[in-house]
Formats: sequence, C-alpha cells, structure tokens
Amino acid sequence: MGGDKEGIMTNVWMAGGRISRRGMLRALGLLGVAAAGGPFLAGAPGPALGQGNLGALQPEEKVDATMQRLFGGRPIKDGSNVIKLDLPLIAENGSVVPITVEVQSPMTPASYVKSIYIISDKNRRPLNARFSLTPDMGAASIGANLRLGETTNVRAIAELNDGTLLMAKREVKVTVGGCGG
Amino acid sequence: MAEIGKVRIRIPSSIKRGDVVRVRSLVIHPMEIVQRRDGKPVDKNYLFIHKVTVAYNGREILEAETTQSISENPFFSFTFKPTEPGMLRITFLDTHGGKYEGTAEIKFA
Repeated sequence: MGGDKEGIMTNVWMAGGRISRRGMLRALGLLGVAAAGGPFLAGAPGPALGQGNLGALQPEEKVDATMQRLFGGRPIKDGSNVIKLDLPLIAENGSVVPITVEVQSPMTPASYVKSIYIISDKNRRPLNARFSLTPDMGAASIGANLRLGETTNVRAIAELNDGTLLMAKREVKVTVGGCGG
Repeated sequence: MAEIGKVRIRIPSSIKRGDVVRVRSLVIHPMEIVQRRDGKPVDKNYLFIHKVTVAYNGREILEAETTQSISENPFFSFTFKPTEPGMLRITFLDTHGGKYEGTAEIKFA
C-alpha cells in the first residue's frame, strides 16, 4: 500500500518541493496520473532586468479600498442564500486553499451571473481572481486554489447581468501562511 | 522548470447532450509571488498567469483574470453545458508572454 503510493508520487512533478503532499495527492486524485498534457508553446523570454511589472500588479491596499475600486459605491446585497461558498474551515497550508463558489442562477441569456470576484480580506493584494461567465456554462460554479497570507475572511461577490451585486463570506483559519500576494 | 506550461484537463468519461459538465484543469506554473527586500516590494518582471480563457468550438465561455494570490500550479474548475460535440480549449497566458493551451474533445455517449 505504502509502496504503491510512493510509486504514484514519483510520477508527479514536484513544484520545487513546495507543493504539499496533501495538495499533490489532491491534484492527483482530481486529475489522474494518466491525464495527457495538451500542446503548449514555450514562454517567450522576459524583458531585460529593471523593467519590472510591479506597477501592473494589483495594488497593495486594504480590502475596503479594493471594494471601492472594483464596485465604487454600488450597494452589495447579502447573497449568502444564493451563493454557496465551499472552503475549508481550517487551512493547514495557506499556499493552497481550495475554494468552490456556486451561485444559484438559471444561466439563461436573460438572467445569468456575469462575474464572480474572489477577495481575501487580509491578503496584501486582496483580489484573488475575477471570472467572467457566460450563459453557455449552464451553471455558475467556479473552483480554484487560493493563496492566503493569514487567517482571513474570504468573500465571493457575484455580479448578475442586471448589475446586482451579491456577496457571501466565510472565515478561513490559516495555520501556515502562503505569502498571499 | 522544464515542464512549465503543461496543461491537464479532466472531463467526465461519459457526457450526455444537455448535461452540465464539470471540467477540471491544472497547469504547471510557478506563479511567482512578490519578493520583498527591507520590507519593500522588489520591482521585477514577475512570472505568473494573469489570464485564463476557455473556448468551446471557438466561442468563449469563460474568462478569468488571475493574480498572484492563486496557488502555484493553478487549478481551476468550472461547469459548462455542451449542446453539440466539439473541442474545448483552455488557454493560459502569463506575464512573460507565455501561452499554454490544453484541449479536450467532447463527445456524447
């Protein structure tokens, strides 16, 4: 049994030894060892040193500033009854925190979820990701792995096609921070 | 990091017309985080994936803007509802101009 596990693990490329065993096993379970990689193009070499892209990143700011920047003063309704936020209560490793956001929506061209924002309050750069959805998806459900710097509230904000903003949030206790951006 | 940009896509083994299908995807990528020296962020050209697009038969169904607050070797899952067989293409773009693509063929059982 133990031997089998080791055998499987040697098939997985380790991310500089930094991916957790749990994360790796999870990825394995989800994707399967035999999943074939698609064709890809090699990344172009980056520009010379001294031309950083720091200025192009999300700004370092408090979560209130992020909310203000993204949504202006628009009212945000409580969406905890329509947004299902699937997050661990305690994340042992802040650098891989799986999240699933599911918004109840018919996802028809007349009524669908336009975007989903994932925001971590205490990360230096609170915006984790923004997803733009289309009715072709059939359901509004998104999964990703987050980096969280410390114990924090994680919010999911759904923007409907009529402009309504709905929010759900949950606290995640982070044992070891993942230097969350 | 020879395997950077390797994309894996997982779809259910049998799909019926009109099903809402859950697709899971993973790309091997370092997703560099901001380095600090003396408490100040270092300005350099950080390598991370900033855009993910999913297209089905050439029609875009999902677009994501990602930041460094997404884990190394980013994993994304999403749903979609295929109405005809075709090719699902997921494209990851990184800040160094890298473009990584994975495809999955959708056939109805």
